[in-house]
Amino acid sequence: MEKMQPYTVLAVDDNLLNLKMIEKSLSREGYQIFIAGNGSEGRTIAREKHPDLILLDIEMPGENGFEVIKKLKEDAVTNLIPVIFLTGISDVNAKLKGFDLGAVDYITKPFHPLEVLARVRIHLKLSIATNSLIQDQAAKLLQVAEAQTAMLPVPKSFPAARFGVYYKALEEAGGDFYDVLNISDFITGYFVADFSGHDIKTSYLTASIKALLVQNCTPLYSPRESMKMVNAVLKKILPQEKYLTACYLHLNRSTMTMTLVNAGHPPAACLPVQGDAFLVKSQGDILGMFSDAHFGVTRIKVSRGDRFFVYSDGLVESVGKKTNWIAGARKLLPVFKDLQQFSCAEAPGRLIRHLFAENSRPEDDIVVLCIEV
Amino acid sequence: MDYKHLADQLDMDETEFSELVTLFVDTTRTDLEKVRQGVSCGDPRQASAAAHSIKGAAGNLGFTQMADLAQKMESAANSGSLEGFDAYITDLETRVDALTPT
Repeated sequence: MEKMQPYTVLAVDDNLLNLKMIEKSLSREGYQIFIAGNGSEGRTIAREKHPDLILLDIEMPGENGFEVIKKLKEDAVTNLIPVIFLTGISDVNAKLKGFDLGAVDYITKPFHPLEVLARVRIHLKLSIATNSLIQDQAAKLLQVAEAQTAMLPVPKSFPAARFGVYYKALEEAGGDFYDVLNISDFITGYFVADFSGHDIKTSYLTASIKALLVQNCTPLYSPRESMKMVNAVLKKILPQEKYLTACYLHLNRSTMTMTLVNAGHPPAACLPVQGDAFLVKSQGDILGMFSDAHFGVTRIKVSRGDRFFVYSDGLVESVGKKTNWIAGARKLLPVFKDLQQFSCAEAPGRLIRHLFAENSRPEDDIVVLCIEV
Repeated sequence: MDYKHLADQLDMDETEFSELVTLFVDTTRTDLEKVRQGVSCGDPRQASAAAHSIKGAAGNLGFTQMADLAQKMESAANSGSLEGFDAYITDLETRVDALTPT
């Protein structure tokens, strides 16, 4: 049978007797013990051996325990190792200072070997539980990110929708969302939204939005009515501090009409085959905040080959450069025009490469849809 | 001194306890030498640190009288006084010499 790896404990104390007592009492219970006679040696062993727990004397010549723990907590290799102080000091301020520096507990000298064992056990259990919680949460977040990505439609699954997309979430659970809806054989809905916040709650909400869009973006409702219905439900289900800005582009390739509903979102860009590019700047309330929300609606007659760019604010907003949406979007119009030489599938990726250098990182999540009539 | 009783108190057998006592004798002699140096140099901080070490080790093994003596030395040195330390040192040395594991 394979032998289990023993838990390791580093004891740091300038008194060899104390070290030996700890070594004897813990090693007979199956722990592997490293010992150090001073703070500097203790830190070196902590870096090399990465013990599961450290028992640290406070009063030592050279680096005292407070200096040692400070350095351990500043070091990425050792900062997660729980530290228990060994001390003859009963001053409460000294104890509080130790807790403040990151100690998990104190053992007062003279100590009983069984008390050391009991405290080592309890703090190892706590540490294991905390680490397992962290791993569990990371795994869940990864699942959420995977689920969120799986919810986003890719152009090859919707050839009739004729669109290209660039989507990048800054964190595992992004705040941006888009969807493409086949409303009928010749009507397609394109929805781009940006949630307030970038947390797990946001990611779960994207599933709700997707379901709401399917239910409400149908031939029965006008684009404005669809957004009103979505807003009414969101007002009921969203937590108080949550809302979203959104842009819903409804393209009827039979009547050759584009209807755009704006809910507090940056302006879309229209690039007609003939004529100058312009911004579709209708204003509207955000989604999920007001029961009587008003949405700006713009209707435009379109021609075959016309293009629209719909995007989230990460594309046009820069905190560092103090750029607002309209000014940012205006600057983009000539760039959108230059992208006419590329297919609409390629255009969003080319746009991002043009705007952001290879190593520069956008300040927010980004989604860009390029839609061709 | 009843080593069996002290060993039982620490959940150890007598052999283990005797090993620790031997170690205690060595470390305490070294610490007492540091106390003596502190006294001769007029350095209460050195005397205090060494007395603190003796106090902890003696207390851990259950040698309460030695821990008390070391505590008195540490407190006096912390207040800047090294008066009467020769007597403390002699007293502790006598007690350490008497620790012969059976």
